Amino acid sequence: MRYDDPELRERLAAEYVVGTMPRLARQRLERLIAEDAGMAQLVAQWTERFAPIDQAAPEAEAPARVWRDIERRLPIAPPPEPGWTGWFRSLAIWRGIAAAASVAAAAAILYLALSPSLPPPTVIAVLNDDGGKPSWIVLRDVRRADVSIDAIRSIADDPARSLELWGIAGGPPRSLGLLPRKPGEKLILQASLLPPPGGVLAISSEPPTGSPTGTPTGPVLFKGDVLGRP
Amino acid sequence: MQDSSFELQRLLGRTARGDRAAFKELYDRTAAKLFGVALRITGRRDIAEDALQECFIAVWQRAADYDPVRGGAMGWMTTILRHTAIDRLRRLGSRPEGHVASADQLLTIAADERADSGAELRALRRCLDELEERPRQAVLLAYLYGMTREELAVHLATPVGTIKSWVRRGLERLKRCLDG
Repeated sequence: MRYDDPELRERLAAEYVVGTMPRLARQRLERLIAEDAGMAQLVAQWTERFAPIDQAAPEAEAPARVWRDIERRLPIAPPPEPGWTGWFRSLAIWRGIAAAASVAAAAAILYLALSPSLPPPTVIAVLNDDGGKPSWIVLRDVRRADVSIDAIRSIADDPARSLELWGIAGGPPRSLGLLPRKPGEKLILQASLLPPPGGVLAISSEPPTGSPTGTPTGPVLFKGDVLGRP
Repeated sequence: MQDSSFELQRLLGRTARGDRAAFKELYDRTAAKLFGVALRITGRRDIAEDALQECFIAVWQRAADYDPVRGGAMGWMTTILRHTAIDRLRRLGSRPEGHVASADQLLTIAADERADSGAELRALRRCLDELEERPRQAVLLAYLYGMTREELAVHLATPVGTIKSWVRRGLERLKRCLDG
C-alpha cells in the first residue's frame, strides 16, 4: 500500500480513530505512525474531532483490584537505602571513576567501593566528552528494570540550554528525556527504552524545553557505547 | 482542550521516565473516564476491567512515544483504551443483548445537547446531524461501540462494501463540516 496519497492518508487516520480498521491493518498503521510524523498528526487530529464524545461518556469507578493488578506488573521498585545514596554522594568515588582509563576500570572501582551487602550495579554505558573524559555513567541496579544516568564530574551548566539524552540503535536518534538540572537529581529510565548493546547513547545541548524537532538540534557533547544487557 | 490537559501531559512525561508516583496519579485522574468508555464499548464489566488494565500497562510501556505536539494526553490514552477494549471484546466475548442503543438514540448518547455542553460537543453534534442517516449511524455505532465493519453489516443488514462506503463518506463529510 502506498502511504503517500493525501486522501488515503486522511481516510486511514480517520478509520483508525473511529475503529473500523481491521486489526492487522491497524497494527501496520501503528508501525507507520511511529515513524511518520505526518500520519501521527492526522491521527491526532481525528482523535481530537471525536474527543468530545468520550469526554461526555459517563464516568465509572473501576474496582481497586484493577490498579493492584497493574501495579503488580510494573517493575519492582526497591525501597530507598541510605547506604546507596551515601555511596552516590561520595566524591572520591567519582573522581576515581572519572580518572579511570576504561569502562572496566570504572566498573571495578564501583564494585570495590560498594559495601559487600549491596549487589554491584551493572554499568550499561559511560559517556565521554569529546576530550575522551568519562562524564556520565548509566547504571542498572540488578533488582530493578530501570536504569539511572548520573554525572560523574561536575558538568558546566548553561542555564540557557538543557541537556537531552538520545538513544541510537541503527536508526534516527530517539529522545530519552532531559537530564535533570538540580544537583543530586538523577534521570531514571525504563531499561526497555535504551538501545541494545552495540547501540549508542549521546547527550546534546538543546533549548531549555528540549529539542523542538524530535532529533538533536544542538551539538553532541557526550557519547558512549551501550555495553552489556540493559 | 480540558483545563487539566497540561497536567496530564506532565504526568505522562514523568511516567515515561519511570516515575511510578506520577503514573499512579495519572491513573487516579483518568481511570474513571476511561473505564466509562470501556463499559460503553463492551457492555461488560469483566471485559472492561481487563481492557482498562491492559490500557494502563500499554500507557506505562509506551509513555515515551507520546508527543504533546501531536495532541492531548487524554486523547492519546483514550485511543489506546478504545483499541484495547475492541480487541478484548473480540477475543473474550460479545456485548450483551440490548446494550447497543437503537438508531434514534445514538446521537443523544454520543452528543447530548444540554445547557452545559461545551462548544466542541455542540459543533460535533451539529456536524453529525448534517450527515446522511445511514452513514451517521455507521459512524456512531463504530465510535460508540467499537463495531467492526462485519458487525455493522449484520447490525444494519447491509453488505460490508456498502458499510465501508458509508463510513468513508460519513467521515469525509464530518471533516469538511468540522474544519469548515
